[in-house]
Amino acid sequence: MTAMIKRNLLLYFRDWSGVFFSLLGALISFILYLVFLKQNMLSSWHQVPDAKVLLDTWLIGGTLAITGITTTLSSLALMVTDKADHIAEDLELTDAGPLRLFASYLSSAAVIGFLMQLAMFVIMWGGFYVTDGLTLSVTAVLNTLGLMVFSSLLATVVNAIFIRGIHSVDSLGKLATIIGTATGFLVGTYIPIGLLPSFAQNLVKFIPGSYVAALYREFLMGAKLDVAFGENTAARTSFDKLMGIRLNWSTLLTQQETYHIMGLMLIGAAVLAFGPEWLRIRRRRRVVRER
Amino acid sequence: MLLEAKHLTKTFGEKVAVNAVDLQIEKGSFTALLGPNGAGKSTTLNMLIGLSQPTAGQVVYDQQPKLGVVFQGSVLDNMLTVRENLQIRAGQYRHVPADRVTVLSQQLGLTNFMSQRYDTLSGGQRRRVDIARALLNNPDILFLDEPTTGLDIQTRRAIWTLVQKLQREQNLTVILTMHYLDEADAADNVIVIDHGKVLAHGTAAELKDRYAADLLTITTPDVSQLVANIDRKPTRVTATQIAFNLPTMQDALDILTANRTLISNFEFRPGTMDDAFLALTGKEMR
Repeated sequence: MTAMIKRNLLLYFRDWSGVFFSLLGALISFILYLVFLKQNMLSSWHQVPDAKVLLDTWLIGGTLAITGITTTLSSLALMVTDKADHIAEDLELTDAGPLRLFASYLSSAAVIGFLMQLAMFVIMWGGFYVTDGLTLSVTAVLNTLGLMVFSSLLATVVNAIFIRGIHSVDSLGKLATIIGTATGFLVGTYIPIGLLPSFAQNLVKFIPGSYVAALYREFLMGAKLDVAFGENTAARTSFDKLMGIRLNWSTLLTQQETYHIMGLMLIGAAVLAFGPEWLRIRRRRRVVRER
Repeated sequence: MLLEAKHLTKTFGEKVAVNAVDLQIEKGSFTALLGPNGAGKSTTLNMLIGLSQPTAGQVVYDQQPKLGVVFQGSVLDNMLTVRENLQIRAGQYRHVPADRVTVLSQQLGLTNFMSQRYDTLSGGQRRRVDIARALLNNPDILFLDEPTTGLDIQTRRAIWTLVQKLQREQNLTVILTMHYLDEADAADNVIVIDHGKVLAHGTAAELKDRYAADLLTITTPDVSQLVANIDRKPTRVTATQIAFNLPTMQDALDILTANRTLISNFEFRPGTMDDAFLALTGKEMR
């Protein structure tokens, strides 16, 4: 399995243009924000103290969630191309076995998802440090790093469910375009969740990436919001809700609740991704035994 | 018997790709599956390997064999070097000695381009790397699906020499498909397949003997006289030449000696695998 993971990582990182475009996909929301939205949003936030830095961290959170989703997807694409190029047949001849092969595609995708989020984090923080003097506490950074791991795992298994149904490179490209476009809205990075119509707000709650984005925002913005809003909890709550810093079920979710929900989503997605693969192998074994 | 296929059948919807094929493969033998495009060779091979399940019939191995497969297309990664490709595949097997890649690279003459990327190799180099990959787990049976298609004559020779050497020296069982018929001479056992059925099998010499007619072409100043003299039906008559398909060389000698005064020149060509193949599978393209 380590050999296979090594292969997948080598293939991903040796293709420089692939890595670049994969990052660019995530950078797009960042650049769009700087060019089009930043001034606009700032002027509507003029009464919020430290608005600049708050907006910066809000954007970092959303963008990291998108990065996790798009980069793990583009790494899982290898599964489709291997099948299309008949490389999968050759791999099946080895002692690795189909379940372990599947697991190694997922593991390498998760590693790539983590590394790319890390890269994006460094790029964005660096950029905002230079322009707005953005600083982050050690706790915020550690929490963010931990969430990167969880985020890439979750995005990997969720994407693995979709990619199982894809058998051609062509439809893979289309799926990537759809997911890449939709994600920015679905996790509330392009438009704050609170500004969406209520149907869209409910839709957002079905997307695992939304919870990841919310947690990122909470980790990155939390301390700054405490300072900005002080004792004014009502204003703070409505701000959290508006900006998707905490998602609203019956009440606003706490960090722990959000983590629990993400954990359940991870387990559910893992069952959906591995289940059919496991059934397929069992069925094939039974066919062989009957003969 | 190392491997036996009994009534192997594969259908894709209405189309019967392989129709009740029986095969017996002995240990250390060299078997060639011969057939035109779409005859069912690769489908048969895939069932023998276990990559696809037969619709009916079965494949029986006498023990759990280690398989090596050289696929028709490349199955290694273009972006990786030869060494990386081989090391990574080796790592996916359980009991491959650490020096296996080095040993194979020397044995197959890959040492000069081990650190070159796979997609920068020539067709012949690639084929050798593919074979090295198939030999990583020290297989009992080596399957090759049209290993020499698209290669120049020198490379084809080299590949054949290599495969035969492996068969002889390591008592490797070799099963391959091909459609360059002249190369079938190397095989102990040639199996001609068409429309999913076995049409004939035997050694290349036996098949040529049985199915390929010898060709006699005679140049003569008096075509009509010669045609009248010989009671066989010529296959081709021109202003100066007559051609016959003959079952044996003796028949040719008889014609030549009986008509030596009428003959200004002649050419005799024994039946080739191509002739046998065309006789068996017909001349139609598909």
